[in-house]
Amino acid sequence: MQRRFLNRGLSRRGLIKGAATGAAVAALAPAGLGRLTAAAAQEPTTVRLVSPPSSPAETAALEALLEEFAAANPNIRVDYQAITSEYNTKLQTDLAAGSAADVFTVDSLVMPDLIAAEVMTPLDDYMAQAGFTAADYFPGLISAFQAGGRTYGLPKDFSTLAMFYDPQAFEAAGIAAPPATWDELRTAAQTLLDATGQPPIVYAPSLARYIAFLYAGGGRILSEDGSQVTINSPEAKTALDYFYGLYTDGLAATFTDVGAVWPGAAFATDTGSIVFEGNWLLPFLAENAPDKQFRVAEMPAGPAGKATMAFTVCYAINEASAVRDAAWTLVSYLTGPEGMAIWSDTSGLLPSRPALTQAYVDKYPDRSAFLAGGEYARPWQLGQGGEKFNLDADAELQALFSGQGSTEETLARLEEKANEDIRLGTAPVATPAT
Amino acid sequence: MASLAAPRRRGRNPLAAEDFFAGWVFILPALIIIGGFILLPILIAAWTSLHNRNTIGNVNEFVGLDNYRHIFTANEDFRIALRNTAWFSAVVVPTQTAVGLILATLANRKIRGKTFFRTAFYFPSISSSVVISMIFLWLYQSNGLINFLLQKLGLPTPRPPWLANARGVFGLAFDAVGIGVPTWLEGPSVALVSIMMLNVWTTAGTMMVVFLAGLQDIPGDVYEAAALDGATRRRSFFDITVPLLRPVILFVVTLGLIGTFQVFDQIYVMSAGGPAKTTTTLVFLIYTEAFKSGRGLGYASALAIVLFAIIFVLFLIQRRFVGRTEER
Repeated sequence: MQRRFLNRGLSRRGLIKGAATGAAVAALAPAGLGRLTAAAAQEPTTVRLVSPPSSPAETAALEALLEEFAAANPNIRVDYQAITSEYNTKLQTDLAAGSAADVFTVDSLVMPDLIAAEVMTPLDDYMAQAGFTAADYFPGLISAFQAGGRTYGLPKDFSTLAMFYDPQAFEAAGIAAPPATWDELRTAAQTLLDATGQPPIVYAPSLARYIAFLYAGGGRILSEDGSQVTINSPEAKTALDYFYGLYTDGLAATFTDVGAVWPGAAFATDTGSIVFEGNWLLPFLAENAPDKQFRVAEMPAGPAGKATMAFTVCYAINEASAVRDAAWTLVSYLTGPEGMAIWSDTSGLLPSRPALTQAYVDKYPDRSAFLAGGEYARPWQLGQGGEKFNLDADAELQALFSGQGSTEETLARLEEKANEDIRLGTAPVATPAT
Repeated sequence: MASLAAPRRRGRNPLAAEDFFAGWVFILPALIIIGGFILLPILIAAWTSLHNRNTIGNVNEFVGLDNYRHIFTANEDFRIALRNTAWFSAVVVPTQTAVGLILATLANRKIRGKTFFRTAFYFPSISSSVVISMIFLWLYQSNGLINFLLQKLGLPTPRPPWLANARGVFGLAFDAVGIGVPTWLEGPSVALVSIMMLNVWTTAGTMMVVFLAGLQDIPGDVYEAAALDGATRRRSFFDITVPLLRPVILFVVTLGLIGTFQVFDQIYVMSAGGPAKTTTTLVFLIYTEAFKSGRGLGYASALAIVLFAIIFVLFLIQRRFVGRTEER
């Protein structure tokens, strides 16, 4: 999943996985394309589609979905290309060169910058004609793709952060129920540490993980209206002291400490018994550790209640596309009730349409924690310049975890960096999806 | 003389014009390639660096020297990257030059398996740097081969592990003797030093090949004469080999300087500039500013021009010190 790789410390993992995915995609592509071509009628309109799939399984699911689309729309031929690494860089250069695809996906984190660059067609007229409304989607998702009263993309699916845990390790240490609060998490981690001598929690010192604790602690990066940086607050300090305290007290290790490429890999190899990841970990576990016993619970609640992050991407239409109507037909299928029902069923990713959640939970009952998080998740978005701030914030957190400076100093530096990087007042900013 | 030469020149004029034309035709392919793919992009980069131009290209306004002003006054990352790159160059260039020279001297001896050693030392240089970086990624992991060997020998291993460790090596050394030092005395991070070692290992082979060529140009009778005069092997190395290799050393140091100031692929694969920006080098910063920071191509071009100026000035300086062949 592209969004998982936004974390730059993990980008080499993107490279490794990218290489593997690329090979698999190459193997799958001829068969898929052949069938698509056969299904199309004579003189079809060609719509080019690009996206960064997270796994060969996701590519296969998308190609199957595109076959369904081709069957229903014989006059449109979809030319799909999977970009397995450096997707955002490629998208920017393709847009600059005028060679970008007709339909592309955009990550919520970089969406404000692309909206400002005016490269996407507003979808409001199309939506009105087709009977789509913003209310069809989780508000925390669609709001990430809206600005100035216009909608520039429709959410493809989403993932939320949740707590994966190893029930066998919990049982062996005598822990009955998964921790539901910060205090319970510390107690459970201490019990596990005493039982095994190993730090039970494995996580990444990155903004994309700390931010869930920040919200649970009642802090924010930006004020409600996005006009002010509010990261240097007592609430943020409480959250960072808790997050970093897990590490200094030996209850948590970073994935590099345990020699893993990312926290999910540590979980798969039983090096950690608690990780905070999204549903992208599920296909990884199925592929790399099919016998692994695990359960998923919601993120433990902090002083300000429950909080989690929604990582989402949208399908957007290239403003410069010559086939925008056909492109909308494709986008409306992929994000519409029918297409998304198939998509969430085959890909296992969370449907961005609340109407489809029941069918999803029926099919994947063990994944309800992710959807429960969808109720209160906040979008992974920080306004224009958010990508740069994410990089800078990760660097500050890495410095903290290397023993340089205190949590106060880190927050002061984060405040300074946020003021420098983020263009204030460029909402949409993170608001709870209530 | 002049009256004699003038008619002759005039007499050859038609032929000279033909030569002139033929000459241009012969250099035209090279001219087009160098002009179109080297000179023109440099000029365009210089022109772009005077603009506020985002990567997508819909914003493009002339801002004069604003980008340069921002780089030198307001960009903290530039200072970090400059410091990291300077450390990288200061450690890697002398080390790889020395190692390359020693390897070349050894491989130039009449020993058994000479070809094998030459090939083995050169091998890292011809392999893909991405593949080598990936292999070192595994070696440097907390449960990787390097830590495994250190543990076998009963030596301490760094925590966080090599490539995730942002602590400066001087800072750690001072810590070991119980002295706290300010941040600016911390020195290059453990992660950066780890990548330096990889770079020395891959590039020393290239330098060895260049030195080997240089060594074979030194006539054997010079050494024979020195030996007759009673020079030790050590003496003839420092007083014959090194001085006669001076032009080669200049070449190797220049290549090393340019290479280290342009280091990118190992950083991109192994550390992505982290942890805590301690491996962010100038070229990696250019990439970040172009595609991730929102400052865009104009700003990144300005950084590239600054990098060009730095390398150029450094080349001039070291030519004064290393390249004094004529004076001798």
